[in-house]
Amino acid sequence: MVTLAAVPLAALMLGVILELLLGRFLRPHAKGWLAFGSGLTALAGALALLPTIAAGGVTDGTLFAWDKGAPLRYHVDGLSLVFTLMATGIGTAILLYCVHYMEHEHEGTTRFYALMLTFMAGLVNLVCSADLLLAYLSWEVIGLCSYFLVGFWYKDPAASEGARKVLVMTHLPGYALLAAILLLYSGTGTFLWTDPAVRQSFTGGFFLLMLVAAMAKSVMFPLHTWIPEAMQAPTPVSALLHSACYVKAGVYLVARMYSLAAWPTSWNTLVIALGCVTMLVGALFALIQADLKRLLAFSTISQLGYIITGLGLGTDLGIAAGIFYCASHGLFKGTLFLCAGVVQHATGTRDLTRLGGLAARLPHTARLWLVASAAIIGVPLTNGFVAKWLLYSAALDAGQMLVVLIAWLVSVFSSFYIIKATVAVFYGELPPWLQERHIEEAAPSMRVGMGILAALCLLFGIAPQLLMNWVVTPAVRSLAFTGAGHVSWLGIPTGPAGLVGAVAVAVVLAAVLVGLGLYGLMKRPGPEPVGLFTGGDPLPVSDSVVDVADFVGPVAETFAPAYRLTDPDPFYLAVWERLRDLVGRLDRILTPLLEGHPLWATVAGGAAVLAVMWAF
Amino acid sequence: MVSDSVAANWDPAFLGLFLVLFAAVAAFAKVFPQGNRHWWTLFAWLAVLVAAAMLLRDGWTRRLLLDAGAFVAVALVWNPGTPEAARAARTYLALLIVSMICLTGGMLWIREGVNPPLSSWNQAVVGLLVIGFGLKLALVPFYFWLPGVAAAATPMTTVLIVSVVDMAAFSDLAHLRVTAPWVFAHGRSLWLAVALLSMFGGALLALAQRDLKRMLAFSTIDDMGYLLLGVATGPGIGLSGALLGALGHALSKLLLFGAVGMAEARLGRPLTLDSRGQAARCPVSGAAFIVGALGIIGVPPTFGFVGRWRLYLAGAEYGGGALVLAMALATSLALLYYARAIHRVWLGTVADTTLPREPRLATITLSVLMILVVTLGMFPGVVIGHLP
Repeated sequence: MVTLAAVPLAALMLGVILELLLGRFLRPHAKGWLAFGSGLTALAGALALLPTIAAGGVTDGTLFAWDKGAPLRYHVDGLSLVFTLMATGIGTAILLYCVHYMEHEHEGTTRFYALMLTFMAGLVNLVCSADLLLAYLSWEVIGLCSYFLVGFWYKDPAASEGARKVLVMTHLPGYALLAAILLLYSGTGTFLWTDPAVRQSFTGGFFLLMLVAAMAKSVMFPLHTWIPEAMQAPTPVSALLHSACYVKAGVYLVARMYSLAAWPTSWNTLVIALGCVTMLVGALFALIQADLKRLLAFSTISQLGYIITGLGLGTDLGIAAGIFYCASHGLFKGTLFLCAGVVQHATGTRDLTRLGGLAARLPHTARLWLVASAAIIGVPLTNGFVAKWLLYSAALDAGQMLVVLIAWLVSVFSSFYIIKATVAVFYGELPPWLQERHIEEAAPSMRVGMGILAALCLLFGIAPQLLMNWVVTPAVRSLAFTGAGHVSWLGIPTGPAGLVGAVAVAVVLAAVLVGLGLYGLMKRPGPEPVGLFTGGDPLPVSDSVVDVADFVGPVAETFAPAYRLTDPDPFYLAVWERLRDLVGRLDRILTPLLEGHPLWATVAGGAAVLAVMWAF
Repeated sequence: MVSDSVAANWDPAFLGLFLVLFAAVAAFAKVFPQGNRHWWTLFAWLAVLVAAAMLLRDGWTRRLLLDAGAFVAVALVWNPGTPEAARAARTYLALLIVSMICLTGGMLWIREGVNPPLSSWNQAVVGLLVIGFGLKLALVPFYFWLPGVAAAATPMTTVLIVSVVDMAAFSDLAHLRVTAPWVFAHGRSLWLAVALLSMFGGALLALAQRDLKRMLAFSTIDDMGYLLLGVATGPGIGLSGALLGALGHALSKLLLFGAVGMAEARLGRPLTLDSRGQAARCPVSGAAFIVGALGIIGVPPTFGFVGRWRLYLAGAEYGGGALVLAMALATSLALLYYARAIHRVWLGTVADTTLPREPRLATITLSVLMILVVTLGMFPGVVIGHLP
């Protein structure tokens, strides 16, 4: 069975080797298909594990001796499988999209595909490894892959600086994870998290160390500021980074800590607090973005807040909500990024103030975007609705009214910024500069890649029990929780709160139907810009259209104190500048003194050493 | 007395690595001349002396050969004949002589006994050994010769010093850890203090440098601090971490100096933080610098991680969370200065990319070394089997 568990990793690594060996002889198109084939094989391997894991089974075994005392040992349970399926499934859809997207790149496509496959392999190995040291190795491998992929266009200063921020801000907190693992080892004598000795020794200190590492990976406040800078990467990289392979590593670590210890209430409170602050900060910053990818990046921060909050609740339903949300987010965020890539590919810009009216030119992309937008807002019939519903139910069950209120407020903000982006990109009139440009709809392979993800958003919105029963519930059970509750069609809980839920969904659906009916009865609005009543004389024509700037400006002004308070970057910058000043002064004093008079300096140093030895 | 044969298990691994380094240095020097024809003669002498020393198990002959190799290294530094090179070589020579006096005195006194001699001078002897090894390995507060040598000597000469002469001396220190453990038990606090001072002093001063070769010199001091910490906390996981770390250090430093040397030779001036976008001119050198930097910092999956996690574990077992935190802090500083060098010097735009392709032999050499650093990091069991 362990051989089967190794298939995803083996398929992906074989793909890497083939890309490196054959890269010189293959055209970008062929490299893309090769990578897609590797991803598909890995996905097949992961799916083959599904029946066993869904039945409550676990796959255990040693693959090979990596280092003395640290074998590559796998323990594949329900939680591992969720993330393996996300990495290989969403990753493969993104690779399919890449085939056309990357075929016009003149250089670096071998590097690109090798890194994308390594990225996926890194997450698979992280979540399947029973050995914490090898899990750390994978943790850093995916960190390096994201660094190199964000800096893919390394001759562009913005990409290079973005990659630097990714490296520094995610690698440094990673030492907290390494410290936790090594301190645990020195106390227990094992690197295997499955060893009962680990559970007995896991204290609050280890929890905090691991949480710090997870915070940086999963963009939790205040370690979240690297992700907007990572938007300089090719769009498929952003999609993979946000949906499946990077930010989800931190989610995995937080969830896995339920396997390592029974959480006291204080740990839950801390994680819930972090989740709530993160979802609020992410949404606030998303509101004022005028760059499509940066907006999506801040929305990822916010959505990760939901996921972490769900996990922090620490109840059966809370864990289920967190994991369901995590998988759902992967699907709709992947779709949104890929659609954003099509827009950028077609127009050459991500600036919302310069876009508009693209639904007419990119109809397929617009439809897919709408599905994913509906999901992220939480519209019924989409997986996002089920995820939010589960989260609210879990918070209500746990008596966390404040969490419900914050989550509701953030949902409202999410609707604002997603609708802002949707209208700014796809609706209204095509700007003059785009009217003369040839705007090309996504190629079929790109549409299929996006379409699969969007279709799954709908499938798991209409029949969420498929995801819940086959994937989420085994994951919840693998974390020593008894069950995840049951959901039926459209996400209606069939537990004690089922009746209330059913009525609520019926009300929402009725409202949607009434709205559609009214819309159909009324005259369709024309393509003219929306007029503004100013209370007096009309505005000049150029000011009479509500655009992104009209939205961003007032919001930025209204929430200005909150933005100042919740942006940690000025603090990080001040620390860096102080450090630079300090070392500059140190160098100016020491270098002439010591290197200018080496013999005297040696005599002084030697005397100090002998004096110390004499004294102690 | 303990038989040296027990402790000599790692010598074949070091010898094998030195042979790889000699081949790489020769290939590189063939493409980018490192000095006049005497440079090659001196290089050959250095290779023979160090290789012979690593084959010998007798302590004194071995030390004599290694000291002779160090004197040849001084001559290599002098070889370019510039005033800066002469000054750096004189400083190196003077401090080398002081180091040899201290080490010879210390070794004569202890005679590598498992137990300390019955004498009240033992503390002073440990002090002499700290000074001697401190000077030889360029540890804080005795590092003064290395930055000058790195700036004035040619890159491959510096590689021969930091990756071969220094690492051979370090191997000697590791032997002492096994044959005369009391030396480290008596002065453990002092050894640890020197290790921590080197880690932080080297890292902070590296962060202050604008010249890349001087930065790499301070990075060597920083890294030597980790290796010394492993020896001081040994003999188990700490010593094996230090030995693996030394092997990784030697390989990574060759990549770093090789990359800088190739870019400088093509650019015609020293690389500083103002030299932007060099990877566009020299892509293989840029990749080599990044891999070398990751190896030195100990980022997985490079070979540097294999030694570094053991060193961290030794720190955890000896000093608990506080020592691990200190080590992580010093490593963070290393990441900061290497990330700055990578992004200011190698990545980003460059005005002129019209230079011809990088020489084939040099790029093949650097590529093979990069593959070695990553492959050994992914499958470290290959080397582990040759270590105690």
